[in-house]
Amino acid sequence: MIKTIFFTVLTVAFFYIVWINNIFAPHEKYEMPPEHKKIAMDYKYAKEGRELFIQNCASCHSVRYDALYLTQVQANPMLASLQEKYGKVLPRDVYEAVFMNELNALKEAFGKVPPDLSTIYLVKGPEYLYNFILEPQKVLPGTTMPPVMTGRPEETAKIIAYLRSVSEPPPEEKAKRNIMGVVTIGYFIVMGILIWLWRDRILKKMGLH
Amino acid sequence: MIGRWFNERAKLSELWRSQMVDYKVPKNLTFPYAFGIMALVAFLIQIISGIFLVMYYQPNIHTAFDSANYTIMKEVPFMWLIRNIHAAGANFFLAVVYLHIFTGIYYNAYKKPRELTWIVGFFIYFVLLMTALSGYLLPWGQLSYWGMVVTTEIPTSIDSAPIIGKLKIGETISIWMKGGYELGQITLGRFFGLHIWLLPLILLGLVAFHFYLIRAHGITSPDGREIDKKKEGVPFHPYITLKEGAYLMGYLAVFFFFVFFYMKHFLPADNYDPADPFKTPAHIAPEWYLLAFYTMFRSIPDKFLGFVVFNLALILLLILPFLDFSPLRSARNRPLFFVMFLVLVISSMALTILGTMPPTPTNALLGLIFTLGFLSFFISMPIISILEWRWYKAKGGSRND
Amino acid sequence: MEASRRDLLGVAVGGLGVLGAIGALYPIVKVLSPSQASLAGAKVEVDVSQIPDLQVRVVSWKGKPVFVVKLPQDFQWNGKRVNGQNTKLLQGQDAYALVAVCTHLGCVPLWKPQGEGEFNYPVFHCPCHGGFYSPWGDNIAGPPPRPLYVPPQKREGNKLVIGEEGFVKELT
Repeated sequence: MIKTIFFTVLTVAFFYIVWINNIFAPHEKYEMPPEHKKIAMDYKYAKEGRELFIQNCASCHSVRYDALYLTQVQANPMLASLQEKYGKVLPRDVYEAVFMNELNALKEAFGKVPPDLSTIYLVKGPEYLYNFILEPQKVLPGTTMPPVMTGRPEETAKIIAYLRSVSEPPPEEKAKRNIMGVVTIGYFIVMGILIWLWRDRILKKMGLH
Repeated sequence: MIGRWFNERAKLSELWRSQMVDYKVPKNLTFPYAFGIMALVAFLIQIISGIFLVMYYQPNIHTAFDSANYTIMKEVPFMWLIRNIHAAGANFFLAVVYLHIFTGIYYNAYKKPRELTWIVGFFIYFVLLMTALSGYLLPWGQLSYWGMVVTTEIPTSIDSAPIIGKLKIGETISIWMKGGYELGQITLGRFFGLHIWLLPLILLGLVAFHFYLIRAHGITSPDGREIDKKKEGVPFHPYITLKEGAYLMGYLAVFFFFVFFYMKHFLPADNYDPADPFKTPAHIAPEWYLLAFYTMFRSIPDKFLGFVVFNLALILLLILPFLDFSPLRSARNRPLFFVMFLVLVISSMALTILGTMPPTPTNALLGLIFTLGFLSFFISMPIISILEWRWYKAKGGSRND
Repeated sequence: MEASRRDLLGVAVGGLGVLGAIGALYPIVKVLSPSQASLAGAKVEVDVSQIPDLQVRVVSWKGKPVFVVKLPQDFQWNGKRVNGQNTKLLQGQDAYALVAVCTHLGCVPLWKPQGEGEFNYPVFHCPCHGGFYSPWGDNIAGPPPRPLYVPPQKREGNKLVIGEEGFVKELT
């Protein structure tokens, strides 16, 4: 009994540390004022955030998964016919080949092509993005990202809300997935209990136990 | 009706009865005995989810990332679920295999006549690690790419050896693995092929052989005795099938909790960053299931020696049935073995956790200590065996028992 | 075997098992079903004012090639089968769509506004086995057994909308 408890606790503790919360290897935490965090986590600001993104960020950054291309590329008449052929979200090699000039111009200006931001929310999280966009040099010294949103934390939060909407499913879909999860887990728990009880009955009938 | 027609011709109920009901097993099997069947179910889950992923994933370095993170995660209905299942499933598969291995060690399931079962099992473990490594490359994210860069660099530690290092065998192996000087389309293509059919097929063959060997010898009892099947055995069905069936439901409940609500560790944030050959991520380390070997490798200052040690760890694991030649079976009856088993378990866990921590001098020292702890289990086996033989012979036992 | 709780439990387990299997099947069916994007290809719009007279443009509809034919205002045709099935259906239209798949063995015919072979007026000519069609797709010579298929289509100003019910209600 003691051995069972000991090994069970040890195993659970190990997987807790490795999979859920590694108390030995904490990651850097960034701060974000709660009122702005609320804006960033609120789906309804995504639309406004998209407009702000187009105004402030799209001259250098694309969001390909939302078919949001660089301003210079949006103005290019080739884009429409490409999208007719390949769909709204262009394959990356097609995009980079056709608009090589626009991308190279950015590379000359900044040293490297500013990355596409389709999944940046998942990579960095809202707090990092908030701090980075408002003060790039403080978070990544030596970066060529200019501080385009200085003094506009609320709008930055809305842009983050937009980036979140591209990376994560909308609240209705999230709710559906949560329900799916609860039903699936509940199903297995119920099945497990039923099978156990059924087995008990069968064994009792067979005279085993 | 159709069932009866089919049954008369395929003789399924006779097959069922002879294989499942007449097959007798010990009555006192504990919970960890279920890890084996959980591993099989985990394997099946990977195959089925993999079948669907292969329909939409594109093994081309320009489109791989988008096929995984746009087409699969956002475009095709329910493919996000299948990808979550596959990613969480890989981790659960390896977790359950590790638990199964430690269970086998604890109950001495590798002893005569089951040494071959253990050896086949070792190769299943090894091929599984290859499968996991090759699969991780496919999404072509930053961790995928740089993790594979690190992995293909490991053979170059052979070149740090005195004398034979001059032959540059390590570098040759490294270039051969990658298909060139750098990771590119050729690398992705070959790992894709390995991951989706060749390695799974080999795994299937090994697992089938493993199951055959298990059935050939029957299941070991937790207290080490071979049971008299007629007198003390219970029918496999329904005694074990339904018990492990219920445990499986519990496993699936835990599994799907992670699939739906906690994918953070199984789809790590940094891998949502597309692979960039010019930008190394700040923290690059293997996945948890390889971290123990990684820590062993890292803790030893000499590269070649580190390479030797972590290969030694694998080899010692393989030859365990021959290192432990004691007449006694099961940790329940062997206090010395039990203590060393604890050392093994704690060392393995500590080595894994150390792998997640930065390589400070303190951590390197701790890594060295726990590496020695891990190895000491295997080294102590012959010593303990000799001591236990002496004790056994004094109690009147002989080599012919 | 008495009607015991064991049977009820057995039925419960079996029933839930079936439910679970169906539940697992639902996402699998959805994963394999055609995507929104591909189903959107069921409707194609063509601006016929951009097509010069007596010329034919080829577009793709539901995975098949389709001819969009533009006829001049006072087009007279001297060929056979003036009372063909397609001619009657497409009467009075200056622009219409025909499925560009030869009804003989599936090749894509060629538009020959200057005529071809024995015909010195506009025809469709299939190079594979020598089938001929009138500009409205009626078969006039060679192996084709029936006229070219006509997809459902309607006209909205300068736009010909292929795939929607209009002057042609359904695929012929």
